[in-house]
Amino acid sequence: MATTQEENQTPAGESLLNRKVIVSGDTTYKIVSKSVTEYHFTVPFILPDEERVEVGQIFSIKDQGLTFLARVLNIEHSSNYDGHWDTTMKGTQFFDDDQIFNRVIAEPLGCINKRLEFKKSRTLPTKFAPVARAEKEEFKFLSQVMGDIEVGYLRNGSRLVEEIPVALHSEAMDHHMGVFATTGMGKSNFMKVFAASCMRLFARGESKFGLLIVDPHGEYLKGKSKDLVKGLVHLKRYREGLACYSTNKQNASDPGVEELAISESEILPQDIALLYDWSPPQRDALEAISRILDPANWLEEIQSPEGMARMMQEGFKDSTVNVLVRRIKNELGRNPYIRKRSSLANILANLQNGKVVLVDIPRMSDRSELFLLSVISRYILDEYKKDEKEGQESRKNCLITIEEAQRVLGAGSNTTRFESIAREGRKFGVGLCAVTQQPKLIDKQLLSQFNTLVVMGLGDRNDRIQLEESAKQDLSSMDIEIQTLEKGEAVVSTLNIPFPVPARIHRYEDYLRRLEKEDKQEGLITRGGFKPFLD
Amino acid sequence: MEKWSRLSLVAEMIRDHISLDGIDRYLAETGVQSSDFVPVEPCDFAGEIFAVDGSNVSICNWSTANVNLIRAGYAVYRGRDWKRTVITFDDVFVADTMLCKNMFDLYLEQFFGLNGVYLKESDLDRLSSYYRELQEYVAINEALGEAHAGDIVLYDGSFDVFELLRDALAAVFARAREKGVALLAVAKSSSLFWGEEITLPFVQHTSTIGSRLLPGAAWYVSLKDKKVDAGQGRWNGETYVVRFCGQSEHAFRVDAPSFLRDEMGSVLGKLAAYSCSSECLGYPHALFRAHRDIRITEQEGAAVRQKLMAHLLESGMTHSEIRMLMQDFHDILEMRSGF
Repeated sequence: MATTQEENQTPAGESLLNRKVIVSGDTTYKIVSKSVTEYHFTVPFILPDEERVEVGQIFSIKDQGLTFLARVLNIEHSSNYDGHWDTTMKGTQFFDDDQIFNRVIAEPLGCINKRLEFKKSRTLPTKFAPVARAEKEEFKFLSQVMGDIEVGYLRNGSRLVEEIPVALHSEAMDHHMGVFATTGMGKSNFMKVFAASCMRLFARGESKFGLLIVDPHGEYLKGKSKDLVKGLVHLKRYREGLACYSTNKQNASDPGVEELAISESEILPQDIALLYDWSPPQRDALEAISRILDPANWLEEIQSPEGMARMMQEGFKDSTVNVLVRRIKNELGRNPYIRKRSSLANILANLQNGKVVLVDIPRMSDRSELFLLSVISRYILDEYKKDEKEGQESRKNCLITIEEAQRVLGAGSNTTRFESIAREGRKFGVGLCAVTQQPKLIDKQLLSQFNTLVVMGLGDRNDRIQLEESAKQDLSSMDIEIQTLEKGEAVVSTLNIPFPVPARIHRYEDYLRRLEKEDKQEGLITRGGFKPFLD
Repeated sequence: MEKWSRLSLVAEMIRDHISLDGIDRYLAETGVQSSDFVPVEPCDFAGEIFAVDGSNVSICNWSTANVNLIRAGYAVYRGRDWKRTVITFDDVFVADTMLCKNMFDLYLEQFFGLNGVYLKESDLDRLSSYYRELQEYVAINEALGEAHAGDIVLYDGSFDVFELLRDALAAVFARAREKGVALLAVAKSSSLFWGEEITLPFVQHTSTIGSRLLPGAAWYVSLKDKKVDAGQGRWNGETYVVRFCGQSEHAFRVDAPSFLRDEMGSVLGKLAAYSCSSECLGYPHALFRAHRDIRITEQEGAAVRQKLMAHLLESGMTHSEIRMLMQDFHDILEMRSGF
């Protein structure tokens, strides 16, 4: 509404009248309340579908030299009338659209000053300051704070802001990353997009870390041809950024894929220890192996009569030793990649060069996968520790991906190896990328070490609470948004970006085509992103 | 116990006398016939509806005078679309018998060409009410100035006004007739009554009977020549009871100048088309909006009171002086803060 003064308008009573005329004007899309921590603004109660306000959308409030940004948390029916006058259907329709509206409750994200600097806001916009859906101009500052690993586009509600790619920072990767989503929401797609961007960085000589992915489902290497789902090998343009190892003979016969082998000498008793629940005497026996037997040949020795006899001479009962030997034999039988030769040195070298290392172990059991991951992780951490001591500055950092991470990072789990990477890996340049659909099962203290969170749809309230309580950035206000995320949508929270950013993760197959077409030397982010391919 | 038995007697009396069992007695005693209920056909029209209202809040008072905040103005609609709200008066009025005559005279002379007002002793208690009404007539006059032939000007109230302002009303009627504008007063509450042994609420009972005779329809009844005192003869017009919307329970007293007698059905049909909003079903929507836009809220009154207090303190008065002069002892009894 607008008010005008019309003094002395009519000839009669010129000196007596002081007319104020209130005329129709824009009564909605204005800040009406409330505080520095919560803004309320109004929007028309009826809007065309394409203009409807949605939870998670970001609006801008231009107020003199500042542009405030606020994210929609909730939307309520509201009006300038008191009480429950509108709970009964009556009459033909509302007459006064300016008095009936939707009240939008929004969380301040911060404000942009004239120099395009984004700051947390310590004040609030002037009452009735105009509100508009934030567009690419208001998001431009985000381009300055995005990282180098592109994973998607900025999303404003359901709308894409294609000009603003969402990209993670390589520098933050040794601070650990978590990828959380219920089944079918796009975790694997995200990981492939992430890996593709890492491959691209390597090919351009810009890689800052190596990425290890152990894939028990056999979906990352070649995808699933019957579903037209592509794998990492399909990214031919940046194929040099990928090193593949496979336990599958057919896959390993492909050029560029090496058959995985782990040398017996690289397996330590503690690698076996994490696979079973052991009784105290059995655990004592395991810990004593390195002392009693040759550490480089213990696997062979313990299976021989002489080795077993030496264990028993040390006071361990034959039944205890027999359990150890039986279980060791089982594991060796299950894991035919345990041989004389080893791929570990190559894997390490590729990681230290900044490549994506994919260990493809299709149809391997859960226990075997854990065993392998444990051996590789321990090896990597030990080697990075050595490098640290020796001052090897040329090697790149490393990010180890753990699928179904709740198995090894859960509260009370006995897999301290991964916990120790989470707690101290950063010192040596080793980060963890935990992928799980049940963050509630991950130890809260460990989760609080994760500085980058990629949260996709999570229907379980306890999962969301766990993340909200552990995240470095405040996610508590985004509960409704996280609950309502659709497949491929994510909220990305990382320290280098000033607030949790809503994103639509690229569909890998689209991203692949885009990367295949791009000029190798052309920047993705610096030139403002691409238009998506329309299928 | 005696108190509750008395209450039960009152309940019985209401049931027997006020609750309407049949319509025969009503028809006989009021002179209203079934055929007097005339259906109203809602009818769109392209003209404008002006709705005039006023508001009055006491700011402070001392034993011999008081200060009121008064506001008057009108809302303008074309069809269902609100166009504007015009405030014609929004100021404080000091209701002191020695001082205020001039405040009336200025408006009466300038807007209605009248020679001023004669305030009788009995009028002095109602000075601020008179003044608010005067400002409402000024607002009607302004609305008439904007209106075109065929438009409708509604007034929230009745035209059976205090004698003091009847000449001003006559001037307003004359201007409406001259411009070809329909001028109606719609009263939200009415003291019209019927009954020979007990005063019975006329508008409510007429509404009940109208619902039985013309269910689901809008209608009106003219009170011309009926045995109901609506001030006939004291002002140059007629009174009707009108239900603007068939889905509503409510009927209203409507006053209109005599010159509208032959076109009431048509004018009420236009109003009926715009008395069906979801916000305020059964009441002309323009009046609903005028009421909300022009009303002075408690908070506004309190804000003006605080400002006045600040001025008094600035002028050197002490809190105790202000309290002594202005605090109503009722405020003390009610434990209300204030002056």
